[in-house]
Parts: sequence; structure tokens; C-alpha cells
Amino acid sequence: MKKFDSGKWNKYLTAGLIMTGLALLLGILGFFWTPYSTTAMSAAEKFAAPSLRHLFGTDNFGRDIFSRVMKGLSTTIVIGCLVVAFSAAAGILLGALTGYFGGLLDEIVMRITDAVNGFPSILLALVLISILGNGKQNVILALGIVFIPSYVRIVRSEFIRLRDADYISRARLMGVSRWRILFVHILPNIFSVFWVSVMIGFNNAILAESGMSYLGIGVQPPDASLGKMLSDAQGYLQNAPWYALAPGLTIVWVVLGFSLFSEGIRRRV
Amino acid sequence: MIKIEDLSVAFDGAEVVKNVNLELKDGEILGVVGESGSGKSVTALTLMGLVADTAEITSGRIVFDDVILREAGKPLDRALYRKYQGAEMSMVFQEPMTSLNPTQRVGRQVEELLRLHTDFTKEEIRIKVLETFEAVGLKNAETIYASYPHQLSGGMRQRVMIAMAVILHPDLVVCDEPTTALDVTIQNQIIELLRVINEKEKNSMLFITHDLNLARRICHRVAVMKDGRVVELGRTEDIFEHPQEAYTRELIEAVPSRLKRRTSVFRQKYREAGKAAGFEQSGALCAGQEGECLEQAEAQYSEQRGERQEQEDAGETVLEVRDLSVYYQDGSNSLFSREKRHAAVKGAKFTVYRGESLGLVGESGCGKTTLSKAILGMNRDITGEIRHSTIRPQMIFQDPYSSLNPAKTIGWLLQEPLRAAGMLDQSLRLSKADMEAAAYDMLHRVGMEEKYFHRKPNQLSGGQRQRVSIGQALITNPGLVVADEPVSALDVTIQAQIMELMQKLQQEMQLSYLFISHDINVVYKMCDRIMVMKEGKIIEIGETEEIFAHPKQEYTRELLGEQK
Repeated sequence: MKKFDSGKWNKYLTAGLIMTGLALLLGILGFFWTPYSTTAMSAAEKFAAPSLRHLFGTDNFGRDIFSRVMKGLSTTIVIGCLVVAFSAAAGILLGALTGYFGGLLDEIVMRITDAVNGFPSILLALVLISILGNGKQNVILALGIVFIPSYVRIVRSEFIRLRDADYISRARLMGVSRWRILFVHILPNIFSVFWVSVMIGFNNAILAESGMSYLGIGVQPPDASLGKMLSDAQGYLQNAPWYALAPGLTIVWVVLGFSLFSEGIRRRV
Repeated sequence: MIKIEDLSVAFDGAEVVKNVNLELKDGEILGVVGESGSGKSVTALTLMGLVADTAEITSGRIVFDDVILREAGKPLDRALYRKYQGAEMSMVFQEPMTSLNPTQRVGRQVEELLRLHTDFTKEEIRIKVLETFEAVGLKNAETIYASYPHQLSGGMRQRVMIAMAVILHPDLVVCDEPTTALDVTIQNQIIELLRVINEKEKNSMLFITHDLNLARRICHRVAVMKDGRVVELGRTEDIFEHPQEAYTRELIEAVPSRLKRRTSVFRQKYREAGKAAGFEQSGALCAGQEGECLEQAEAQYSEQRGERQEQEDAGETVLEVRDLSVYYQDGSNSLFSREKRHAAVKGAKFTVYRGESLGLVGESGCGKTTLSKAILGMNRDITGEIRHSTIRPQMIFQDPYSSLNPAKTIGWLLQEPLRAAGMLDQSLRLSKADMEAAAYDMLHRVGMEEKYFHRKPNQLSGGQRQRVSIGQALITNPGLVVADEPVSALDVTIQAQIMELMQKLQQEMQLSYLFISHDINVVYKMCDRIMVMKEGKIIEIGETEEIFAHPKQEYTRELLGEQK
């Protein structure tokens, strides 16, 4: 494994790190502190244009958009992380078992993932939400389930590649238990490939969450969400374009930053 | 006449070929020998105009019959080279599996050369190709002509490659390890073929190899390369009989030869005891019927051992194999495909005693690996009996680059067998400190410094990795170790070190080796007894000297062949 400084540094990595870093900073800060309360309304300051006082202006209730974007970022990041954690963990478990053991379990799991892959992920998540009901936890659960197959495929192919490696045969000869071979001997060797797909998965999760909140079936008020803000702003595009631009560009910023970052990592390997 | 004058080649500023001077006279075979990284292949590729564009010629030039092909500071003249490549100079590569296009019939691929470089008619081309096929010893030239590469064996493919190389009667043929990927018997045939072609065509050959035995057999002159320089150059006899340079001597001595065999302590004791008891040397008694004579040999061997056992205490059986057949499944492991069952090993029967090395030789596909896997318990589809005195026989793998987990440190790797043993059996559980101490101890025993304990495998050389690999196999003191071509991926000097290490550890730990190799000389050096396998059957078994002096089977004689 190359050390951080010995690998080829590239401009993708620099740009990605700066953009992602800034977004993460604002999002994490948003948990503890925002310049204004995200729910404090002020009739006097309705639709105030961006200024030093209100960086991104105010909305139809006179709420500070910058503060709400910060809060929305926090929500998005939390949901993104949890979705990725859930689907990646399940993906590792299923991918490891199917890839290493093969056989009937492999056939069954792979056919299910084929079926899941047959539908657009957002559509499937919508169906799940309509069964499970609205709410943050259900959004996480629905997206988590929908994203499992992509991880299963990657982990599975890596396990198939490594299960016949000499050092795994050797571990078997030593009498190392199956679970230990799977998760102590093989797993550390797939991380370089796995990280890239986690990054891409995080992006997809953010986009999917925003899309669902935009449709009104994701995060519910009073929680701030970038997607929900975007749909609220739709009616005021003409007289307050900054209302829509602020959350919209923020989503673009986060996703682009993350894409650049993962591309940078991919090129370094 | 081809001249390489003062040639230096650099990649990214680092010179890999340094001021090389070589001259190839007409009709001469010049051998270039050296270990990996010595610059021999880069020299040949530069000569052929095939070296990567990132290579820079920093000094010297290449002259082909008074035409300057390549000169320092000037870029590769592709148009000029194209006139020479194929027609005046050609190359035979190491890997016959990948140097033919799998989607085209063999005949078409050979024809292409004639279409590019001659104005023969279609029919003339066809006749010429068939003639050449016959000249390189391909019977059924018509059939071969219409075959796809995958329908041919490795040896046949290499013959096709040679046909391609000589069909236009070039003045220069560069052979880059042309026999390394082939079985021993095929190897001999190809070497013979190259020699005949050279005599008939009177062309020059540049023969690149890491195998000094091969160079000795075919080359008129030999150049020894080390770290990009030619350290010694001379007539083959002179180089081998009176090497001037220390490195050349080292190389020659590292090659396992029959004169330098070392008998294991076990064997010596056993032999003395046998003589004392009035027995002849046991060995291959096989004359005709294999099954019967094998039994005789085994019976006599164990009888002598029984005799000996009264005088000595160490002598128990480590592995006993009786009527063992091993099967493998053919076909993919899919829901809808039917599997076929084949016997890859048929009726194997032999014994391994404590402290001895039993060599297993045979061509690829003869069932060596299948047999060893069955013994290790990795293939359970068997009939017959395998009995070993050790719970877990271990294995030393061929490729040191894939046999160590790249994600772990050397220290972790050496401790893992102990951890695994502790998890299986409470009574074997060791404390952390004890395991660490054992790992350090093993590191010393395989001849490595303590600083490597915290390194990862990719920071080690091939030889060092193989040392760690041996340490990992031996740390639980397994008694029986299957060594599958443990030195064939290594350079000769490293090979010698690893074999020495294995012999040292064998004595210290009273190990038994089942030593698989295609290299007869390595087997000769390492093994007390030899077992010959052909098409899944053990056809001969006996003491090493016996087998070499009086091989009873025609096949064994062929296998030992001209390898000297």
C-alpha cells in the first residue's frame, strides 16, 4: 500500500478535498451552531436578497437560508453515511458469503440482486417508502436496501478472485476457521477497491435522498433538507432565485466534490 | 554480422543496460545469461527495435551488416526497422500461449509474414508454410495449418513460433527464454530443433536464458550479464571450465549439479545400517510390470528399514498412501451444468519416512499437483487411503509473490499458524509473548533479520518472501511438508540458498519433504528417493542414485534426458 505522500498527488484530489472538506465542515458545524435559528421567522425580512447579514438571503418566512442550508447539509450527511454504512455492511456480508462459498446461496442472492437492479433505484425506494411510511429512519432503510446489490457485486467478485489465492489455500491448510479466512484474511485485501465504490455510493445516496425529499416523501418538516428546500423554492423562482439556487448549488457542490475526490483516489491507486 | 557497440539503455534516467558490447558472427549462437534484472531482455528488445518508447538510448549504437539501425540520441526509425523486422531479424518469445492470436487459424498467422514481405502467390505461400511446418518438426502440417492455437500443445505452439521466426530465412533469430514455459522432454526437443535450424540456415542466434545448462548445450559463445553489464564473454567451454569472474563462478556453482548432491543425515544413517545388515541398496527394481515391481521396491525398502529400526530409533512412517485415486470435477460450477468425474491420480501407493525427501517428478498435467492436494486434504474426492502421522501437513508454494497475504506484516503471518492451531485446540493456545517469541525465532531460523518483523510482503524480494513462506509452513513443526516447485520461480543463486535453507531446516526439525519439481537437477540435489509420475500413475520409485544411474522405464530415461 502506498503511503499518502508517496502516491501521485493530483488535482482531482486537491479540488475534491477542498470542496468536500468545506461541505463537511459546514454540515458538522450545523449540528451545534447556525448563525440564525433555522425556524425563527421574521415577517420584516421576507425574501431578503443575499447580503453580509444573510449570506444566502432569506425565504418566504424570513428564515435565514444559509442556516437552513447548514442544517440541511447535516441531515444529508447523516443520512448519506447511514445509508452507505447499512448497505456496505450488508453488501460485505452477502458478497463475502456468496463469493467465497458459491453454490446455491450464490445463485439465490445473485438472482435477487439482478431483480433489484432491474428497477431504477429511486423507483424501488419509493415503493418501499410507500410500504414502510414516511420518516427519516424509513428513508435510510429504503435507500440502504436499494443500494445493497451494487456492493454485493463488487465484494463478491473480489472474493472470487482471492478465494483461490495461494495465501488463502495456505490459511486453509493451517486450519484457520472459515469466518476468520473471510474477514481477517481476505477482507483487508479488498479495501482499496471497496473504498472507491463506497465513495460513489455516498454520492448516489445523497442524490437519492434529495430527490425523495424533493418529492415530499423523504425528510419531513421541521427537519431541514436540501431537497425539501428546493421544492419549497419552486414557487418563488422569479422573485427570489437565490432561494432555489442556494440548496441546488449546495447539492451540486457536495456531489461534485465527492466525485472529484473519489476520482483522485482511483487515479492514485 | 550484427554489432552492439557500447550500448546503454535507460528508463527514467536509471540505466538498466550499461556499455554493452556484443558481436554476433554469421552462423553463431551467442548465449546471453544472467539473472532477472540483469538487462539481458532489454538488450535483446533494443536490438529488435521492440523496447518501450520510454527507454532512452544513452550511448552506443546497433549495426546490422554495416547499416546503423539505432544510435544514441536518435529516435527509433520505425520505417527502417520495419524492413528488417520479420525479414532479416525475428524473435521467438518465452510464452507460446500468448504470442499467437487465439482468434485466427495458425496457418493464416504464419502466412501473414509472407504476404507482407514477399510477392508469392497464394498457392506458393501455402506450400512454403507447409514446408516450414515440416521443417520445424510439425507432423500433419495440413491439420496444424487449419488449427486454432488452443487446439495445439505448448510444444507445438512453440514450434509454430519458430516456424514464423525462420520462414523468411532471417539472418538473426533472437530467442528469449524459448523453452522456459515448456516441459522438460519438450524443452529438449526444441533445443535440438533450434540447433538443427542454426546448422542448416547458417543464421545467427541470440539465445537469452537464465538457465546455464541450456546455454551450455546450445551456444557457441556465452556472455554473462549482471546489473546491466557484460561481466564475462567467451567460448562456452572456456566460460564453463575456466570462469574468470567471481560472479560467473557463483552462477555456475549455484546450478544444482549431480556432483554436488548432499545426502540427508537420515539417508546416510539408513544406508550404513542397511550395509551392516547385509542388504544391497534398495531402489528401483522395476523391470516390466509396474504395479508388481513397485510393490517389490516398497517391500524391500520397508524390510530394510525394519532391519535398521532395531539399531536406530528414529524411523517411523510419516505418510502412507495406499491405492489412492483422486478425482476432479469437469465443467463449471453452475446450477444447470452437469459435472463429469475424472481420475487424475490412479492407484498411487507409496510411503514417506521421517527425515527423508521424496521427489515427485513428471510433466505438467501428470497429476503431481492433484496428488499433493489430496495428501494435504484439499481434494476430498478420493478413494483409497492416506494416512499421515501429522495432523496438518503444510505446503511451500511455488510463487512467493502470491503465497503471502499482502495486507499483513511478516510478524503477523508467522504467528497466524500458531493462532489457528490455538483456536482449534485449547491445549495448544500460546500467550501473545510466546507467539511473538516463536515468530522471531522462526525469522532467525530462515535467515532473516529482526527488522523485517514489521514489514509487509511487498517490501521483500522474491527470495526473502520464499524464506518467510517456509517459516510460515514450518512454525507449527508439521513433520510433513509438501513443496510444490519451491525454487522454480527464483533466480539460480537464490535457488541455491533456498535449497540449502530447506536442507538445514530438515535436519534441525526432522522434516519429511514431498518435493515436487520439473527440474531434474533440483530434485537430484534435494531428494533421497524419486517417484516418477505419468498420466496419473506412479511408474517408477527408487533411490535417487539408482534412478539416475539405471532408470527402468523408458519414460524416466526420456525425462532425465540430456539434462546434465
